[in-house]
Formats: sequence, C-alpha cells, structure tokens
Amino acid sequence: MSQELNRNFSVLKEKADPPPYFLSYEVTETEYRSFSGTLGVVDPLEQGRNRILDVSVRVGSPKMDNYHRVRGQGGASQGQFTSRSLLTFEDSVNSVKRRLWQDTDAAYRAAAERLIRIQTNSQVRVADADDSDDFSPAPPSVFEQKPLELKFDAAAWRERIRKLSARFQSYPSVLTSHVSVSMQTDTRYFVNTDGSRIRHGRGFARVVISASAKASDGTDLSTFETFEAVDAAGLPDDQKLMASIDQVAGDLTKLLKAPEAEPFVGPAIFSGRAAGVFFHEIFGHRVEGHRQKDESEGQTFTKSVGTKVLPDFLSVVFDPTRRKVDGVDLNGWYDYDDEGVKARPITAVENGVLKTFLMSRSPIKGFDSSNGHGRRQPGYEVVSRQSNLIVESKHAVSEAKLRQLLLDEVKRQNKPYGLYFRDITGGFTTTQRAGLQAFKVIPVIVYRVYPDGRPDELVRGADIVGTPLSSFAKILATGDKPEVFNGYCGAESGSVPVSAVSPSILVSEIEIEKKAKSNDRPPLLPEPTVMESKGGKL
Amino acid sequence: MKRLWLTASIAAVGVLAAAAITTWAQTAEPSSDPLFRAMRDEIERSKKLSIPGLESPYFIEYSIDEQESFTVSASLGGLLSQRRERFRSPDVHVRVGDYKFDNSNFAGGGGGGSRYDLERFPVEDSYALIRRYLWLETDSVYKGAVEALSRKRAALRNITQTDQLNDFAHAEAVHYIHDFKPLVVDETAWAGRVRSLSAIFAQFPEVKASTVDLEVTEGGHYLENSEGTEIKVPESVTVLKIRAAAQAPDGTTVRDFAFVHALDVKNMPGDAELTRTATSVAQNVAALAHAGKGEDYNGPVLFEGAAGAQLFAEVLGKNLVVSRRAEGGRGGRAPAGELEGRIGAKVLPESFDVVDDPGRKDAQGQPLFGSYDVDREGVRAGPLQVVEKGVLKSFLLTRQPVHGFEGSNGRARIPIGGGIDMAGVSNLIVNTSDAVPASDLKKKLLELISNRSKPYGILVRKMDFPSTASTEEAGRIIQAQQGATHPVSMPLLVYKVFADGHEELVRGLQFHGLNVRSLRDILASGNDRNVYEFMDNAAPFALVGYLSFSTEACVVAPSVLIDDLELRAAEGDQPKLPVVPAPEISH
Repeated sequence: MSQELNRNFSVLKEKADPPPYFLSYEVTETEYRSFSGTLGVVDPLEQGRNRILDVSVRVGSPKMDNYHRVRGQGGASQGQFTSRSLLTFEDSVNSVKRRLWQDTDAAYRAAAERLIRIQTNSQVRVADADDSDDFSPAPPSVFEQKPLELKFDAAAWRERIRKLSARFQSYPSVLTSHVSVSMQTDTRYFVNTDGSRIRHGRGFARVVISASAKASDGTDLSTFETFEAVDAAGLPDDQKLMASIDQVAGDLTKLLKAPEAEPFVGPAIFSGRAAGVFFHEIFGHRVEGHRQKDESEGQTFTKSVGTKVLPDFLSVVFDPTRRKVDGVDLNGWYDYDDEGVKARPITAVENGVLKTFLMSRSPIKGFDSSNGHGRRQPGYEVVSRQSNLIVESKHAVSEAKLRQLLLDEVKRQNKPYGLYFRDITGGFTTTQRAGLQAFKVIPVIVYRVYPDGRPDELVRGADIVGTPLSSFAKILATGDKPEVFNGYCGAESGSVPVSAVSPSILVSEIEIEKKAKSNDRPPLLPEPTVMESKGGKL
Repeated sequence: MKRLWLTASIAAVGVLAAAAITTWAQTAEPSSDPLFRAMRDEIERSKKLSIPGLESPYFIEYSIDEQESFTVSASLGGLLSQRRERFRSPDVHVRVGDYKFDNSNFAGGGGGGSRYDLERFPVEDSYALIRRYLWLETDSVYKGAVEALSRKRAALRNITQTDQLNDFAHAEAVHYIHDFKPLVVDETAWAGRVRSLSAIFAQFPEVKASTVDLEVTEGGHYLENSEGTEIKVPESVTVLKIRAAAQAPDGTTVRDFAFVHALDVKNMPGDAELTRTATSVAQNVAALAHAGKGEDYNGPVLFEGAAGAQLFAEVLGKNLVVSRRAEGGRGGRAPAGELEGRIGAKVLPESFDVVDDPGRKDAQGQPLFGSYDVDREGVRAGPLQVVEKGVLKSFLLTRQPVHGFEGSNGRARIPIGGGIDMAGVSNLIVNTSDAVPASDLKKKLLELISNRSKPYGILVRKMDFPSTASTEEAGRIIQAQQGATHPVSMPLLVYKVFADGHEELVRGLQFHGLNVRSLRDILASGNDRNVYEFMDNAAPFALVGYLSFSTEACVVAPSVLIDDLELRAAEGDQPKLPVVPAPEISH
C-alpha cells in the first residue's frame, strides 16, 4: 500500500495537471458470521470475508480543493471520489497494486474535474460566509495492532438461535418475528502522504430480536431489542435473551390492545435510553462540524459557541476512547478515525455552554483542526460524525423523585396526564435549511402517567415532534442512573456504530402527534396452522 | 421480484431437467413433500380469500426457486470473494377477475397490499413456517391484486381498447416431480483454479482490468398452482466467466470475454483447456489494445464460428418473442418485436430451417445446454418449428396472450415480475440445406470484395453477446442505434480481410442497421455447427450481471456470410490514459 501510494503520488504530482497535494488509502477488511431464526427454524449460516478500498485524493490546495462544499447545486454539495472497490482479501501483491492504481486514477480524474467546476462556481457566486480552508493539517500517526481473530461457535449459536426464536411460538398474536446473531471483525489499514501508517480494528457482536404485528385498525406495530458487545462471548446468556424476547413479544401483545395516542402537549420523562436517542438526534447531528460550514444547512449552533445551548446542569461529552459504561460495552468507540486521526474525548457542552464541534480534517471558522471524529462506512466520503455521546448531569435525582417531579408538573400545568417514553427506535432530524428545522423521533413504548394513582397506561401510534432549541430549554431535571443505547447511525458518510449514554430526563413540555398509519386490514384469513389451538406448539 | 439477498453479482437460476427423465408422471399422487403440502394447503385455503364486495382469486400460484451455490472470484492471482450460500426465493401470484379480464397487463398495477416483515423464506422444510410465510405473502399479494383490478377497471372506462386480448391463457394441469441434487464441489480446488486462471493476466501488461468468476449452482424450481399443476424441476449449472479489458492509446476501452458453461461441474473442461481459454482472452485484449481503429464500412460481412451462433441468438432469438402492452399506460406501446405480424413471411433464405427444441441432445447423447421438459409456468415444452424453408412459422409463447396468439407453447423462461414470464429460446437449432464447407466462406468473401473492387472485407469472430459492457457503455450502444427495436451488441473481434487472405484485427466498430431483416441477405452458410451456450436474461444484449435472474440457453448455427451490412466507427469521448503508468508486475 505504501509503495503504491508513494509511486502514484509522486508521478501524479510531477505530471498531472492540476497536481494532487494529498493522497490516502484506507482498506477495511471485514469478516463475518451470522444466523437468523424464525419460530425455531434457522436459516443457513451466512459468512464472508472481504476487503473494501477507499481512495482519497485532494487536488488544488488546502485553501480550496476538490472536497470544497459547493452551494446551489441541488443535492450533492460534497463530491464523491471513492468507488467502493473490492480488493483481494489475499496478500497478492500484483492484485492489490493493480486495484490501488486503477482506483487512484479514477479518484484523481473525478477530483480534477470537480476542482475545475468548483473554481468556476466560486467565481460566479458571492463569497462564502465561512471562508475557512478545505483541509487541515494533522500530525501523522503510526500504529500497528495485530488483526483480530474472529471467534464464533457456529454450532452452539445455531442451536441457541433455534431455541430462542422458538420462544415466539408462545405469542400467537405476533405476526412475524426474527432472532439473529452476528459476529464481525473489522481491520482497517490506513496510509496517507502525511506519513500515517495505521492498522487497527475491533469486533462487533450483536443479537437482534424483532417482532411485528398489525392492529385491527391497520396500524403496523413492531418492537425490538438489540444487544451489542465486542465479541460473541460478551453477549448476554440465554436466560437474559429469553427474558428480552418475552419483553419484546409481551410489549407487542400489549401494544395491539393499547389505545391510540392522542395529540398532546405536556410534561414527560424520557428513560435513559430514550433520552440518549433524543440527544443523538436532536443535539448530536447539529454539532457535526461540516454542517456549520454548509450554507444549505440550518446551522442551529454555528454561531452559538460560548453561549448557553442547554440547561446549565447538563454537559455533553463525545468520547470514542470509552469502551464501557457500568460494565456495558459501548458501540461507538475506535482508536483512530477514518482520516487516521487518533481518537480523543471532547466536551461539546460544558455546564450548558457550547464549547466545540465534532471535527474531521475539514476545518470550519474558529476550529481549524480535527478532533478525531472524521468517520465513514467503507465506500463513502468521510464527514464529521458522532462517537459515544455521553450526557452528564449536575441536577440528578433518584428515579422515584423524578417521577414525583413529573406528577407535580402535571398538576401544575393542569394536564390530565404526563408521558413516559421508555423506548425510542430512532428518528429523523432535518438539518437542511430548506426543510423545517424540526425533528421527529419515534417512540415504541409510551405510557400515560396519571397523577391520581391509576396505573400507567400504554398507548400506541405516537411520534414526538418539536424544534431543537426550544426542546432543550425545557429540560428540568435528570435521573441519577446512566443508561446505554447502542446502535448504528446513518448519514452522508454511511452507517457508523455509535452509542448514546444518558440518565433519564424530565421535560416540562413535549409534543406528540399521531403517527401516519397504513389503512389495510390485518390478514384476512386466520393463522393457517394450529399454533393457537395447540398453545403455540408448531 | 423479491430476491433481496442476491447481493452477489448474478444468480444463475436456470431451468433444466435431468437428462434421463423423459416420461411424464401422468397419474402421480400429490407429493407428500412438506413444501408441496404447505403450498397445496395454503392455495386451497386462499381460494376463499375475500373482501366484502370484491372478488376472490380465480388463480393462485406459488413459484419457488431453490438455490445452493458456491461462488469464487479472483483478479491477478488474488481472491476477491468466496462464498457458499443456500436460499429459497418465493414468488406468489394471485389473479383476481377471470381469464378474460384480470388484474394483470395493467400499467397502473403494482404496489398496494400489506407489507409484512417476512425476511427470508425458510430453507428448512418446516410445514408450519412455510405455511405462515405463504399465508402472509398471499394476503399481501391478494390485497394488491384486488386494488389493481379496481384501478384497471376505472382506468379503462375512459379508453377505447383497440385490441381485446384475454389476460391469461388456460393450461392443462401438469404433474412433474424430480429431486434436486446436492451441491458437491471441491471448493479448495476450484478456488485454486480460479486464482491461477486470474494470474495468467499478470503476464500481459496491456491488460488493465481482469476478473475470473466461478459460480456452481444446484437446486431447482418448485411450482404449485390452483389449477392442479405441481412441478419440481432440478436445475444444475456451472458458469466460469473470464473477462478482461484494456485501454487503447487513444483511450478507447477494449475488452474480451470467454464464458465456459456446464450442466454438471464434473463436466467442466480440464486445467489445460481453461488455461488456453484464459490466455486467448488475454491475448485478444492485448492485441486489441494495439490494433488500429476500424473505419466505416459497407459491404459483405462473414460471421465465423461462435459469431454466427451469437448472431442468431441475438438477432433471431430475441425477435421470436411477442411483447404485450400493458393497458392504461401512458407513453404508448412497448416496442414491437421486429417479427411481429410476419407469420408466413420470408425471414431467412429458403434453404433455412430453424427449430427451438428443449429436448435436443448432442452427438454424445447428452442434453444441450438449454434443455428442459417443463417451463416456469408448468407448461410442457416440445420442439417448435420456428422457421420452415425460410418462412416464419411460430413465436415463443407463454401463458400471457399476445396479439394473434393465445395459449402457451412452454417457452416461459425468464420471470420479469408481477407474475409474468418472458419467453426465451431453449436450444435454437439453425439448419441449412445448401451449406458450403466453412473454409470456403472466406474465399467467397474475398471473391465478393474483389468483384466490387473493395480493398478489404470484414470478418467477425465474436460478438459481445451476452454483453460484458458496463451499463454506461450499453446505454451508449443503444443510443447509437436509435430507433432499433432490438439494438445489436458490439462486435468484439473484428478483422479486415485483404485480397491476399491476410487478416488485420481492428477495434471500435459497431453495426448500424443490423436487424432481423438483414438475415434475408445471407449469401452463404457453412457446414459447421457452432454450439453457443449462454445465460439468457431480460436485459438488452442479455447484459451480464444486470438482472438477478438468468437461464440456460443454447444456439446451434453455422457461420454465415451476409451482404450489405454497415459498420461504423463508434463515437463518443474517450477517457484519457492514466497519468501514472501501471504498477510493475512481480512474478
């Protein structure tokens, strides 16, 4: 890799017009195994191994290069130069070098072409508000870690998945259900013309439990649970997984009978996991550095550095070096980002005051270097992304106290009930300026909490809507126990593993609206086998 | 189409009946296989599907492809991927209305229905789980079908139909059950072979890109319908694809390929022959990179060897299909085949007979590559005289009625979605009664150019069919033949033949105006019988890797000399050569 990097770079620099000033290669080697089962029937093992190559070439100068964000072109404001090529997974020098050479040529052509367009664009348009450079210097990193060995007991897992997935036979109102396990190791090789040489990697083990059903009014309902760890041995045991299946299936069964949520504005508690997703969507995406520079973006916080953006008892840290919280494996850690910059914790918000953004090597006004958050899925271009988001609170009370505060708030506002969001699947946030600067998050498990001592009531079909700035101002207090939400976040640079850690939070006001729902009927014919009459035995 | 897991390049799902089986199981008992029982029971129950005020289904069909495959690919001596997988790919078809008028053949159809999170169809024969899957899928498809039918009725209220065709043809029930074979392949040996073949290209510095892919597939096709048809057709196929490309000094991309097929992996050629094949692809590409650019040409062209068979496969085979226009669609009729409405007309010289014969065996008594007994709609297929004494006699038909024809002749070969199968050739056998020794054809070509005082004639040894072009390149070729119903692929190996008989390879030529009418201008045909095996699909030029479904087909045809063909130099901007020279190859 290094040889071909230097050979291509020096010839291009000498002979190409415009010449490149930077070149990097990243190779992601992935090996995986997975099983998926339904109702006690397991699909054949899926396994594979591959290497994907990403080439990054920069022409022009750090001041203005081919990655410069272009305004008013509708759609892609950033170029795409890497082509997601498969590289041989064997150490065949001829095969590797050929592919590197071909992809360097293709990426260089695309880069040179885009630079010329950008230069024209910059002449016919008014100056950018943010005239910072396109690429920042970063010290070269040299690091070598032994590639991980994938450990996965296929025979044992096949039987476990069979047994686990069969558990859904006890829940006849569940229409579809799946239990899957996957184990993957990633090894990333990175070289660039600054002198970085890195080989690092990690494992990803995951169990996903999912179930869906259709209510009599046509509403599609689904519940799920996932477990993440760095290796398969770190995944929960069968007892815990069985309990989780019972929970997923039980929740779904209850949701089928639950009343539909009504539009509502009032106080609510987010569980720690729900609050983590809330912060990830509403706050995290808005402090991704490249959004501050893009004039099509809403730039919610661009000029807010040094000012209060959250209540002063809250701080938000992004820490890709943190691997566990309270014994739970986090999903968003890494040693080096995808530009070869060493991972480091950053405090984005300290006591309510915005301090910094998530930075890749694309500088923005006031922040001229990377803080190790340039990330991508292989085949995409790097942008700044979240890692492990951790919410810290100085106004933490016990869960019981938090619930009491909610009831007090319900009474004070003279509302019939408050809401408790236990699980949120994810959400959308529009950061683009052309769209409404609003968010929508999708809660799965929502309870009405009554002040008169009635038991909490499960409701279905609610979406949380709101605008980011006003929502943050309404956080009153937090619980004292951090919870972890692990997941995968999708954005411009593809899907990357992330975590969000937060205590539960109490907000004085949240708005929910009815979810769009399908109108078709539930299955016209009953379940074909005798599952129900035989008490779930297939 | 629900073949989501086909993330790999191509699924070679084909239709083939095992060699020894020719007797029909006329009075067979219904199969006790759990998969068939589940399909049968769920079809029986689903006939009762109804929504108040709307019709019940009149036809339900479950079509399931099962595939177990081993794939490996390599480039320059390094493996790119290697995998083994097994899956079933189900298609549920529900028709509402009646044979005369139903939810199909409607441009505004599709969509609708409930969406259930079904994921993969079980590979294990679990009766209960299979029924559950079919239950939910049938429910969803039925809801979509009643919606489509009511939309179709509404849309047609405002349209005067010029052509009152029925929507679906009757067919007799067929019972045909033959077991699948397990996948037995020496993975290590084949990975090694593919790696070694790919390493051959390292000896040719001109070759810019090259890959060798192998796919060995066992499995087959299940079909159960509400008319009582029950089939289980084993399918086995092995395809080795060798592909290479280079850039000529002016930037033009040149390429060549060789695909090697076998119905049984055990019958694949040995190492020596495969090495020769890969080496010739590399040599051809290297030679093309150094070859001169072809100039515009008008005159006789000799299609020699495989090129003759490729010509018949593409120019005749693809036009033996009659397309059906969807009702209520805007934007007019789908392009008519070049032979539509020409039954009884002369389409080839009088000496030609063409038969499409799915039961044809080769000289050794082995079935030809495109053989099968029952098609994808469960209709038996026999030999079909397509052209007799140069006159067009019949088309390849499925159960979808088309203008002038209703009733299948068992040629439903390629599913194209919505329960519709496209017709395709099986073994297309081209015979002539006035063949000349193949070696005389070149002499004939030279006579012609000498009589017409032309400096040279043109000889084509390989067409790009099925095409290995990129989708962009294929798009350019289609555009260059604007207006042609079935654009013809690029010729890959084109030679100028001079009066003294010497040949000169040229590159970058493309036919202009070559179509089915050109076949009437065949001046002579050879006594050679070139057997050309290929995987057919629904894409233009049967573009390789573009669609997930492909099926075995075979053409046996002679070399032919055709008069008055036009070749033009391909136009378009060519990418520059890379600034950086290719890396040195280490041995």
